[in-house]
Amino acid sequence: MANLVVGVGDFAVSNDPEDIIKTFALGSCVAIIFLHKTSRTVGMVHVALPESRIKPEKAVTMPGYFADTGIPAILKAMNAKGCVTGGNNMIIKLAGGASVMDTNNTFNIGKRNILSIKKILWSLGMGPTTEDLGGTFSRTVTVPVKTGKITLSCPGKKDWPL
Amino acid sequence: MTKSIKDDILKAIREVPLISPSASQLLEISNDPDHGLVDLVNIVKHDAPLTAQLLRIVNSAAFSRRAEITSIDRALSLLGEDMVVGMVLADAASHLFDSSLEGYGGAKGDLWEHNLRSAVAAKKIAAYSKTRVNGDTSFTCGLLHDLGKAIISDYLKNTPAEIIPAIAQGKFNNYSAAEQEILGLDHAEVGLELARYWQLPEPLPSVIGYHHKPDQAPSEIKPLAYVVHLGDIIAMLSGGGTGSDNLFHGLVPEYVDYIDLNNDDLALVVIEVNEEFNRIRNSLGREGVEQ
Repeated sequence: MANLVVGVGDFAVSNDPEDIIKTFALGSCVAIIFLHKTSRTVGMVHVALPESRIKPEKAVTMPGYFADTGIPAILKAMNAKGCVTGGNNMIIKLAGGASVMDTNNTFNIGKRNILSIKKILWSLGMGPTTEDLGGTFSRTVTVPVKTGKITLSCPGKKDWPL
Repeated sequence: MTKSIKDDILKAIREVPLISPSASQLLEISNDPDHGLVDLVNIVKHDAPLTAQLLRIVNSAAFSRRAEITSIDRALSLLGEDMVVGMVLADAASHLFDSSLEGYGGAKGDLWEHNLRSAVAAKKIAAYSKTRVNGDTSFTCGLLHDLGKAIISDYLKNTPAEIIPAIAQGKFNNYSAAEQEILGLDHAEVGLELARYWQLPEPLPSVIGYHHKPDQAPSEIKPLAYVVHLGDIIAMLSGGGTGSDNLFHGLVPEYVDYIDLNNDDLALVVIEVNEEFNRIRNSLGREGVEQ
């Protein structure tokens, strides 16, 4: 069994039922979780920012950092594991995109991340089936590959499923 | 009841060990806008354990030098001031930074990581200030700003499960207001008292005290208070919080009068802060999960 920890801008793909994929303390970042039904493969990418144009060289070394490069990168990695990504074979779930208490909505990185991710998914004919987004709390995401059941956690709150 | 808790907390501050003379001098020098590296060298070279620690770090794998560095002047110029101040403060207040923050549902190391990330972010934000703000002072304020949590954490055990729903119901505007209600004072005020007890030079104590309400800070420290406020917010958004209070704090919207930062600038700052934070944390041997 391996714990695959996904850092900021990182992604992981596994079809080993013993693996657990985890990302810690999402604030404004968003985790996109891909569950491929027939191959029972799980992928997770930890997106920090909406657009790679802000620092294209970062997207070369860490494509997962941005929504517009992270989604193609993880889909490519899943394809390489034998996942055919068309049709309704893929379940997509989103978590994160939180903000601080910001009445004027000026530090809205979380909201811009969510919008950018959804636009890109829609352009690929995909969309999230379940999401736990926004709010003013952080989220840690845990997915055992064996079950694909996602658990969210946050200090001071009881764990909850996604 | 609350008054008694408040008195206990104020007493607890006076029982915190004082920081070393070297650490105190280093903070004072670093806070002086006219200081140079030579001033830091003069302090460090008179403190043998500190000298040894700096040389150990600069000769560690993280820096991968071909030749061993034996001169403290060279070591300091290679490490840079942020690393030196960070290391000295981490050591001087390790009993506080290593607190597990049980009252916030946090973990050991969270406070250090949050303060370091805020420090790095504050220094980056200082470059966007409309009036000149000293980047080194911003960094030091960031490193210190949440130390009050280490002292009040024990008095907040089992409270997050009550505070979080109460904020959602509108009973409190933010987490600091809940601390005020329960304890009679909040972590920023406790941090201010601690900094005064340690006799840290102004503006450090005041900025610690106003980091969640920079709009109420005296005019002469307002720009710096906003810089540290935004550094703290960026650290929270990056996921590097101190537990249950993370993100339950308000962004003071008047920051736009002091800081000129658009969405693209903010995105670049987020990237740079993550990179710089990881570099310093890994070099100081407090490696953890990249967040």
